[in-house]
Amino acid sequence: MHHLHQLLQRLADAQFEFVVIGGYAGVLHGSSLVTNDLDLCAVLSPENIAKLRTVLADLHPVHRMTHKKLSFLDVPPAGTSLANLYLETDAGIVDVLTNVLGIGAYARLRQSATEFPLFGRRCAVISLEDLIAAKEAVGREKDLLAVKELRAIAAKRARS
Amino acid sequence: MDAQPTPDPALEAAQRAGFDLNLIDCNLALSPEERLLRHDAALELAQELRKAGELRYAPSAPVAATAR
Repeated sequence: MHHLHQLLQRLADAQFEFVVIGGYAGVLHGSSLVTNDLDLCAVLSPENIAKLRTVLADLHPVHRMTHKKLSFLDVPPAGTSLANLYLETDAGIVDVLTNVLGIGAYARLRQSATEFPLFGRRCAVISLEDLIAAKEAVGREKDLLAVKELRAIAAKRARS
Repeated sequence: MDAQPTPDPALEAAQRAGFDLNLIDCNLALSPEERLLRHDAALELAQELRKAGELRYAPSAPVAATAR
């Protein structure tokens, strides 16, 4: 059972600083496209990795890209920094990137992020303009299709 | 006579790509929380349908050979 919004709520409650990116950010901006995972941009310092471990511990997080689905609770060892994390949990898939192609690292994204009120919390979400630029930079067909809808959303917002 | 509003190229491009502009309006009328809840319900349904498809089309398990 996947409940990405519950994953998001947990992370928002954990004093773990992140910006929502990818398809789920698109949904928050008004996209109708369905995505399978929660993508975040954050600083993956040893401290933040420890926070993530605590938050996700009971959801059996594993590294979904590893052959043996290694447990995130054991790998990497404490004190390690990472560039990216691709996790599968009981509540769904969560990917954490330290850098977004076409935009930059967490600090840059956070600067222009939009704050959304969500379930009594405030969540930083990549701005619509940055999301469009990021998807164009990735350039896969599915991203370029999503850009068409995101541009329509931007046009509708500009008119309202 | 009123002039027709200029069509927006972004809206036209989205429509040509197959997006339902009315659906975008509906989404924009929702709160961010409602957007997430609707998305997650759609994702859950998609996953259930995928599972059902996998069960329907999965090759049947080989029958164990029996000695006569």
